[in-house]
Amino acid sequence: MGRLSAPEPIVLPARAGAGPTVPAVPFVEIEAVRAKEFVPAAKEALTALVAEQGQDKLIRPVFNWAGRNSLFPLHWGLACCAIEFAAAFGARWDAERFGVVPRSSPRQCDLMIVNGTVTWKVAHKLITLYEQMPEPKWVIAMGNCATGGGPFRTAYSVVPGVDKLVPVDIYIAGCPPRPEAMLDGILQLERLIRDRKE
Amino acid sequence: MGPEDLQRGLASRLGAGLLGVDAFDGTAGRIRFDRSVALELFRAMREELGFGHLSTVAGIDWVDRREVVYVLWSDRALQYVLLSTFLPADDPKVESASGVWPSANWHEREAWEMVDITFDHHPDLRHLLMPDGYAFHPLLRSFKLHEPESLEVKVRHV
Repeated sequence: MGRLSAPEPIVLPARAGAGPTVPAVPFVEIEAVRAKEFVPAAKEALTALVAEQGQDKLIRPVFNWAGRNSLFPLHWGLACCAIEFAAAFGARWDAERFGVVPRSSPRQCDLMIVNGTVTWKVAHKLITLYEQMPEPKWVIAMGNCATGGGPFRTAYSVVPGVDKLVPVDIYIAGCPPRPEAMLDGILQLERLIRDRKE
Repeated sequence: MGPEDLQRGLASRLGAGLLGVDAFDGTAGRIRFDRSVALELFRAMREELGFGHLSTVAGIDWVDRREVVYVLWSDRALQYVLLSTFLPADDPKVESASGVWPSANWHEREAWEMVDITFDHHPDLRHLLMPDGYAFHPLLRSFKLHEPESLEVKVRHV
């Protein structure tokens, strides 16, 4: 039970006047750089760096860093996995700390989380929503139904896996997956985006 | 309203089209009729006997023939009555009840979609639960479950 043992007693500093005097913070005088001098110098340095290393190698990590920390999934629920999807954005799991904010319009999204059974009736609407999302975009198949049809795999009305319709980047197993599993899938996707070359 | 009352009330109108009124089993009676008198029976049930609510229409595939069962409810008599008719499997057609009870519209669409029973003079007989262009009637006994990989359904782009 080490965690519950009493912490080290806090030793308060002595009252002012009783202890040694605190040295004053030295005032450092920084020479200001004028913008019209800084901008050409920075431009020259960046140009040399880009010429040396190549533009894609320099800029791509910045885009990947920005993209993977602000994934906006489409806010739609297909079946019971949507309950776990909703719970992941609640107070307990708080997916927003990873920059994941569900948006209501596919035009504002770069991530589609297919959370539930996809029937043939909804299939072409799913494709329409996917095509309305701007590039670059990713798809997570959440749960067994979206991954491979789940218990309804041989049913006459169910798409046996959403990868028959759209390209899928991450599959999350579970029926339904816990919100932790969904967050882990998002983190795996962030790892994919980090290593993205183009 | 017992089975004898129904028999007496309907026999004069339907003649030989009324095949029989089964004894009430629990709460629901069962009227068996020939499909040639379907519309007359529907009108009589609604306008004369007061069965104002059509609860459901069910299609059943008995392989050699098909059956349509209508479940009616009367607010006045407070009882259910089933209407049942058999159709030949090679010509499964019956008159639509949606002109008498508007709630029959979607139930008949489902019965057509699932067990391929055609309802004559239906205002809008198209797919209800499956996408447009779906080529099967999946609740027929002759429908074989597909291997998932071989189930190719054309998805229409909008």
